[in-house]
Amino acid sequence: MNCLQAEEQFSAHFEDTLDYETLQGLEEHLAACETCQQEYARFQESVKVVQQLPQIEPSPYFMPTLLQRIAEEQGGIDGVKGSTTTGWKQLLNLFRRPVWAFSGILALILAVTGTYLYQDGFLFDRDTDSTVVTSESQKVQVATSPVVTQRAGGNGSQRLPGGVIPRSVRPMQQHYVLKQVSYTNASTRGGL
Amino acid sequence: MLDLDDELMERYQKGDESAFTLLVRRHQQPLINFIARFINDRDNAEDLAQETFIRMFKAAHRYEPGRAHFKTWMYHIAKNLCKNEIRNRERRDKYRVDNVVNSGSDGNNQTEEIDLIANTPANSGFQPEVELERKELRNAIQKAIAELPEQYRLPLVLRDLQGLSYDEISEVLELRSGTTKSRINRARLMLKDKLKPFI
Repeated sequence: MNCLQAEEQFSAHFEDTLDYETLQGLEEHLAACETCQQEYARFQESVKVVQQLPQIEPSPYFMPTLLQRIAEEQGGIDGVKGSTTTGWKQLLNLFRRPVWAFSGILALILAVTGTYLYQDGFLFDRDTDSTVVTSESQKVQVATSPVVTQRAGGNGSQRLPGGVIPRSVRPMQQHYVLKQVSYTNASTRGGL
Repeated sequence: MLDLDDELMERYQKGDESAFTLLVRRHQQPLINFIARFINDRDNAEDLAQETFIRMFKAAHRYEPGRAHFKTWMYHIAKNLCKNEIRNRERRDKYRVDNVVNSGSDGNNQTEEIDLIANTPANSGFQPEVELERKELRNAIQKAIAELPEQYRLPLVLRDLQGLSYDEISEVLELRSGTTKSRINRARLMLKDKLKPFI
């Protein structure tokens, strides 16, 4: 056993928990090494003085203050136990859910609503009345897509309830209307 | 077979509120001593001890007598509160020198002085120089403990000042038994070197 190994056994030797073999090795080393003898003596002394440090007493206010706090906590706990969670309190409890839960629910609602509206054409394809100025500079009220649809396809039965036209029928017609509007509204600035 | 702490907890869980008060009375001094020695601040020690008991009170209904140990549970909560306190203190960088446990003007020293005077017979060979030396040694010990790294200070305080067994310390610190033993030995060796001028 060397000095480092001996040092590792100081506590166990001090507390008398070493097995026979280790004890014998340590004792032999201590008998032969004066430095370790001195170090171990100081080790024992320092552990003893630490263990003899006086206990710190609580102040006289500690217990009364703590009992008061416990009584307050007790009141709080009893209050919670005694309360009924019905009616508006249940509704209020809903808002105690975490923010992420609310965000998730909101995102789901938005996604479902968005998908529904998109499929029904409310978001991008809803037809609106617009004023088209014809080449003859006459203002004509035109219900653009439905009218053109009738002109192009001639089949009014493809309309959905509410005057909405299935998306599969309209792209070309809508494009046509847009071109017409842009053409008739385009300013030539005297270039043509 | 339940020990007294577990029995008291069981009685408290069955509605005997005085049982918890008795538990507090039994453990208040060791707990305050542990916290004060660990964080080196007597005033905050009482606050943290109160907080520990309040947390135990709140969680008392979940305690299972016989399965857990009241003492290790208490030290575990206190240890976490102490670590938070030390972290906050470091963050604020406001060391409360005035309240250092063994500084010359704190309440603890006053208590110790009072104890010393009270325990000294009137006609005995009371030697002020010897008492002064003892006081200096106590201050040096507390300072040396406070200077130990947290991972060594904690097991040392639990072992040499609180008298917990190695198994209990391992339970409080959630360490393996071998690690606990090695840390305590290392802490004692560090302390021996720090106290060299006094021993």
